[in-house]
Amino acid sequence: MVEEKVIGLFDELRIPLLRYLAGFPLTLQDSEDVIQEVFLALFQSLRCGKSHQNVRGWLFRAAHNLALKKHLRSRKNIENAGPLMAVEERVADPAPSPEDQFAFHQVQKRLMSVVRAMPEQNRWCLYLRAEGLRYREIAEVLDISLGSVALYLERSLAHIARAAGR
Amino acid sequence: MLSEESHLSDQELLLAVDGELSPREAGQVESHLAACWTCRVRRQEIETTIGEFVRFQRQNFDSRIPPSDGPRALLKAQLAQQAEVQSTSWPRWPHSVSWRFGWAVMAAVLVVVAVTSFIFRGYLERRPADFMAVTVPNPSLTPGATVLVSQTELCRETGANNKAVPVALQRRVFDEYGIRPAEPRAYEVDYLITPALGGADDIHNLWPQSSSATVWNAQVKDALEGHLRNLVCEGDLDLATAQREIATNWIEAYKKYFHTDRPVTGLRD
Repeated sequence: MVEEKVIGLFDELRIPLLRYLAGFPLTLQDSEDVIQEVFLALFQSLRCGKSHQNVRGWLFRAAHNLALKKHLRSRKNIENAGPLMAVEERVADPAPSPEDQFAFHQVQKRLMSVVRAMPEQNRWCLYLRAEGLRYREIAEVLDISLGSVALYLERSLAHIARAAGR
Repeated sequence: MLSEESHLSDQELLLAVDGELSPREAGQVESHLAACWTCRVRRQEIETTIGEFVRFQRQNFDSRIPPSDGPRALLKAQLAQQAEVQSTSWPRWPHSVSWRFGWAVMAAVLVVVAVTSFIFRGYLERRPADFMAVTVPNPSLTPGATVLVSQTELCRETGANNKAVPVALQRRVFDEYGIRPAEPRAYEVDYLITPALGGADDIHNLWPQSSSATVWNAQVKDALEGHLRNLVCEGDLDLATAQREIATNWIEAYKKYFHTDRPVTGLRD
């Protein structure tokens, strides 16, 4: 059943897709809307008899394109953004002592501001890799070359390493 | 690309860590690493950085993601709707059937549709008022929506009660539920997940609660919202669970948390 398959994929990939969409200046509700549209599009395409060799890659690519469209439509700027921006103020704090907590909080804040300041392509590459996509899949989602993926990831990690004080 | 005298670049190390090198290149990297402490340390640093980022992202985001029950129910309803639309859409004419015959059949069908809609027009116009006694929202229209907020932040705010819903938004809610302009007085547009529990000011979180409900009415729901907020702020209930339960079925949640099958407050004659 196509419907069961789509719902199964939704259960499996909703959270990874939401995490990826946190790299866009969208509110959480906008991201949820994008995901609904993506799975409806998948349903349509499966019902039309299309087969997808890599459904996960297809879903990320569709989510990426729809998120860009939604962003362009809404014209929200990055300062008003939802998940990516909002988490900064609500950092989980597992460290035991107040000094450790403070240090942990500082590193997390630095990390967030570095991620926020990254060029979009670098950030998207990083988020996609964090969701377990291989370089080839990332290249397909973002429509860039394999070499660019490696380069963007290298740059992203260098930024993060500096923010973490290494 | 490699020699024991020179060091591996960060990109080469990253490709190796990510398993993106060809078997031959991976072998070269491994033999270089076996002899080079500097590159081993660098690889370790890269892996630590990746680990830190992934941990940071999960810690900051995963706990903020609302439960999937609402979005899942919405998707299921939309899929069912689409499946229905597709199954009732016009069939394609077989190649053997002439276009003239096709047009004749289509014209006949249009006449039947026009006559039927004329006959049932009165019924269709009355229909929303007849069936609307909204006690529990339609999950496909109102699955519930939340803002990203932690339990600490939520409980710190004391004035997070239901704020007035803008008239334009109320109108959209009535439209969605098929309620005619004359009828809104019989309803109060209410938050499914109250802002006092992190509910969002969003159409997916609003529904027309019937003012005529005598048993499971707005006062009863208010009592549940207050009770759940107390439980959350006293640390006896997880915020996400409270949001999920009130969004899934607030009446069942009331029965569960008040240990009763009937409301203990808000009964009207």
